[in-house]
Amino acid sequence: MRRFELILPGSVDECVKALAQSGPETKLLAGGTDLLPQLKNGLLKPARVIDLSGVARLRAIEAGNGKGLRIGSAVTARTLELDRAVRASYLSLAESGALVGSVQVRNLATLGGNICNAAPSADMAPPLLALDAEAVITGPKGERRVPIATFFTGVRRTVLAPDEILVEIVVPNPGAHSGGNYLRHTPRRELDIAVVGVASQLTLANGICTKARIALAAVAPVPLRATAAEQALEGQAVTADRIKRAADLAVDAARPISDQRGSAEFRSHLVRVLTRRTLTTALARASA
Amino acid sequence: MSSVMKTTRDVKGIGISILRPDAPDKVTGQIQYVADLNPPGLLHAKLLRSPHAHARIIRIDVSRARALPGVRAVLTAADIPVLKKKAPTRAHAVLAIDRVVFAGQPVAAVAADELAIAEEALDLIEVQYEVLPVASDPLESMKPGAPPVAEVGTEADTSEALAHGSVAGVTAEAKPAKAVNISQQARLQRGDVAKALAESDVVIEKTYRVPMVHQGYLEPHAVLAQWDRAGNLTLWASTQGSFNTRSEVADVLELPENRIKVIPMECGGGFGGKIRALCEPITAVLARATGRPVRYVMTRREELEAGMPAPQVIIRLKTGVKRDGTLMAIEGEAILESGAFSGAVLAVSGVFLASLYLWPNFDVKGFEVLTHKPSIAAYRAPVAPQTIFAIDSQMEQIAKAIGADPVEFRLRHLQREGDKMANNQPWLSNGAAEVLTRLAEHPIWKKRAEWKASSKGGKLRGTGISLGGWLGGLQPTGATVRLNPDGTLQVMTGQVDIAGTNIALAQIAATAYGVDIDNVKITTGDTDVAPMTGLSAGSKTTYTVGVAVMQAAQDARNQTLGIAAKELEASVHDLEIENDKVVVRGVPDKGITLASIGKKGNLYMSKVEPVLGTAHPAFSVQAPAFCAQLARIEVDPDTGEVTLHNFVVAQDVGKAINPLQIEGQMQGGAVQSLGMALTEALIYDDKARLTNPSLLDYRKLTSADLPNIETIIVEKPAPHGPFGARGVGEPPIVPAPAAIANAIEDATGVRLTHLPLSSERIALAIASA
Amino acid sequence: MAKQVLNCTVNDELAEVLVQPWETLLEALRERMGLTGPKEGCGTGDCGACTVHLDGKPVASCLLLAMQARGHVVRTIEGLGKLGLLHPLQDAFVRHGVPQCGFCIPGVLMAAAALLTENPHPTEEEIRYGIAGNLCRCTGYTKMLAAITETAGATAGRRS
Repeated sequence: MRRFELILPGSVDECVKALAQSGPETKLLAGGTDLLPQLKNGLLKPARVIDLSGVARLRAIEAGNGKGLRIGSAVTARTLELDRAVRASYLSLAESGALVGSVQVRNLATLGGNICNAAPSADMAPPLLALDAEAVITGPKGERRVPIATFFTGVRRTVLAPDEILVEIVVPNPGAHSGGNYLRHTPRRELDIAVVGVASQLTLANGICTKARIALAAVAPVPLRATAAEQALEGQAVTADRIKRAADLAVDAARPISDQRGSAEFRSHLVRVLTRRTLTTALARASA
Repeated sequence: MSSVMKTTRDVKGIGISILRPDAPDKVTGQIQYVADLNPPGLLHAKLLRSPHAHARIIRIDVSRARALPGVRAVLTAADIPVLKKKAPTRAHAVLAIDRVVFAGQPVAAVAADELAIAEEALDLIEVQYEVLPVASDPLESMKPGAPPVAEVGTEADTSEALAHGSVAGVTAEAKPAKAVNISQQARLQRGDVAKALAESDVVIEKTYRVPMVHQGYLEPHAVLAQWDRAGNLTLWASTQGSFNTRSEVADVLELPENRIKVIPMECGGGFGGKIRALCEPITAVLARATGRPVRYVMTRREELEAGMPAPQVIIRLKTGVKRDGTLMAIEGEAILESGAFSGAVLAVSGVFLASLYLWPNFDVKGFEVLTHKPSIAAYRAPVAPQTIFAIDSQMEQIAKAIGADPVEFRLRHLQREGDKMANNQPWLSNGAAEVLTRLAEHPIWKKRAEWKASSKGGKLRGTGISLGGWLGGLQPTGATVRLNPDGTLQVMTGQVDIAGTNIALAQIAATAYGVDIDNVKITTGDTDVAPMTGLSAGSKTTYTVGVAVMQAAQDARNQTLGIAAKELEASVHDLEIENDKVVVRGVPDKGITLASIGKKGNLYMSKVEPVLGTAHPAFSVQAPAFCAQLARIEVDPDTGEVTLHNFVVAQDVGKAINPLQIEGQMQGGAVQSLGMALTEALIYDDKARLTNPSLLDYRKLTSADLPNIETIIVEKPAPHGPFGARGVGEPPIVPAPAAIANAIEDATGVRLTHLPLSSERIALAIASA
Repeated sequence: MAKQVLNCTVNDELAEVLVQPWETLLEALRERMGLTGPKEGCGTGDCGACTVHLDGKPVASCLLLAMQARGHVVRTIEGLGKLGLLHPLQDAFVRHGVPQCGFCIPGVLMAAAALLTENPHPTEEEIRYGIAGNLCRCTGYTKMLAAITETAGATAGRRS
């Protein structure tokens, strides 16, 4: 790694001040699982790094009386994997956390890091999209909220300005009779990255689907929702045939590329397979 | 204090699973690798590497790098006069002079106070390249008119082949005109292939492809270099052969060999990738330029981009048989992509293709092809896994086509001792038939129909078996055995203890001399003090160094008995060594302790010589060793994911000196083989640049991907091995790709011929079937 | 650029070390504190050879800056077991003949120790996933499973 200056703020305010005083070549560091490999490869050569690991507020999870979840941006994937409140009502998010890397990586990798790094394959993005989550961002001008659906603007690009920090993700409670699931395909069972990832969330009322969400990773420049597929499910009972149809529509929403992790053809194939499987699981969980 | 697990074996000290004495240091993190050495004044080295696979170097400007505070030296080829324009081997290409021939080739070197400063110094070096056309695909590179890789006039480097005891009697062929990148060529022929194919009932033609793979050792290449004021160089190296390293460094830097001391540190895995010198010459030059100790440790990215991987192998086979299963003819070619320098072990491939199973008519050609990629080195049984993938898959398909039992069909045509190899040498005694037969008796093989029928939940179940092996390596070597004044033994070799062979050698010495293993200490000496020793490679360590140790121990025993005979006034033939004493057989109270013999040889004014047993044998007879593997799998046809439920390895080890260590070799080799089968590949783009230079995307199998590897040790003694032992390291890496491909066909009906057998290949093949 | 003072607990002792801002915890342990047990196999969190405990949890020390360990508790392989007495896992690894080249072993033992602290009686599958972040090229993992299973006194669960 090349040399840089390291700032160690103890609070969100100190972070914001440090960012305001820093030049453009400044990076924020939380778990380091994406940033450090990029520094070591020379892809990034910041003059200054600001370490968020000492800011206690960013590590907090609050399950607010069943009204929703507030997750600090530096909460680790491992915490999401194991946290009871997350597993109880936001299982797809726990599942995505559980899949990141290995246990040694999950104890460091953070929710905020995963979505701010904004790789097309970011595992935690599809569940957040499927759960209609919001990003809470703070900067010199104060706080603002951005729906996750508009948070990603391109490959490794988000709506964050250079002087802003993601402090929290707010996830509304999906309510009763709602179930979700996150699935991904990887060549190995651990230490791997999604070739395709699909999250779904189905909410039922009297056997009718009132809300359907299907979100895809690694098949477009940004994680995205398959809205036509969602609409094909809403307002009626969810049957195997309708799931199949939704899976086909999800394939249409995907715009995969071919790279050394997988061809476009295989990725499209996997979107169909994984969408069908995740919807089937979400349905079973919603019906339970 | 080793805890000895006694078994009811025949010979003392052999066949006992004695624990490695270095295990306690390894589990406590005390054992030292090169990167753990941190002498005062240490400098850190970094290399600037070419981003282009083929380019002319127009200009290099290092002035800004040299001016960075903390930088102690920046070197280019211009600073190293001994470098030759036509580098005969990869090791000689220390820094590129005016042309780079693979992406990742070193162009400049930096030594600095800190690694971070060295990295920044690299950023300050300006290199102007003229990019040239790239030969990136071996099939294209073979053609006349392809962009040339070697400097015209460079000879094919056969030292790699020689290091692996390659096969006699394979004829070299003249190159086709203007195919400048074909660096080796060979052909094995017998009979009339065209006629035999015409008379065949079933003809199958397939092309098999195995990409370049990395040996995957966890410890990257590392070396620490330091000169003394008298001009002697010391290298602490992670190496599989300290004497080979010394010779290569001496040759490259034009130094006398006795001015170089190579101290082999604990080696964190080699598997053939640490046989040839790589980082040592440049590190030595940096140390000389700075007058300080310099340490160079490759990053993982450098290892993947610029290591010395296994060759890509493309094998086309056309086979003809009669409907009754009579073999008629095999015809085809094996193309080995060697990267920018020659070095593939060509002959082994031809022998396995044409005569592992006895084809009466064959015409098999082999080509080594150069491309603008990092040059290759050995990887555990070099070329055998790729070759067996081809011939075993082919045999399986033939058996299926004619309705024959796959095991019986192989056994029917399998070579036995005395049969003619394709190079007309006789097959030596080997246990190929025994291991295959043994494995076929396993319940997993016997119950394969039930397993397949039990497929459920949309998944498909199957079973596959395969057979492979290694011809065995040879190299002259030496050993000494000394008797200490207290009666204990001291064994010295130059053998780098890669595979736990030191404990096996200690067992051999203890048994041959006649004492308990606890009395024996074995030491790996550096190149200044140890007898000349060969590589820890080629599955020849136990086979060759074991014999040297055995003979040296026998020599020491004879000397001991000679001294005792004089003291006891008895004939040597009446003497025994028991309980650390030399006694007259049948007269237990008439004896002399080993300690007193040892003391006599060390006393001031004594006329008794100290006991020093020596041996320095050379060998001419290899010991082939075979391994069969069995896979029970389940396939998810929609995603192509393969679940390994069971995996069994049966191997002929000749004589199991240390069963515990042998099991470890079998399990480790099998998992490397499975990695080659399922997930591993170095993936280059059309400009011959590596697209997956990290362990995220160069996928080695994790514990979560695997079941327990079951091992079955078979013993068919080798006539010339110590106590009948054969080499153990290489055979287990050979069979798995074929076993998995056979299992996938059993489960899904799909035959795949291109490794790795990735989920993508499987899913798309099923979808289009 | 000035060095910074790292205050933390390493292997049960208070440590105060001057480190460079860009140094990883792995580098600080190895080069500044003489603890060369944790190894660098890849530097990117993809092999597990650098595994240490941070507040009792297994982490890839190559992905942490040294200063991120300030105020925390670090344990390396040198701190597993006590002077002259092997930790039961270390003893089991020796008796089962696990270490070959030895390079992955410190990381595997730290991952296994953390697993057994969190889950004293894991199934085979849980053990396999517990050390799945540790690559080993020599052993094929089978003897590691046997050693960890024996230490845990677990009955191996069948892989589904």
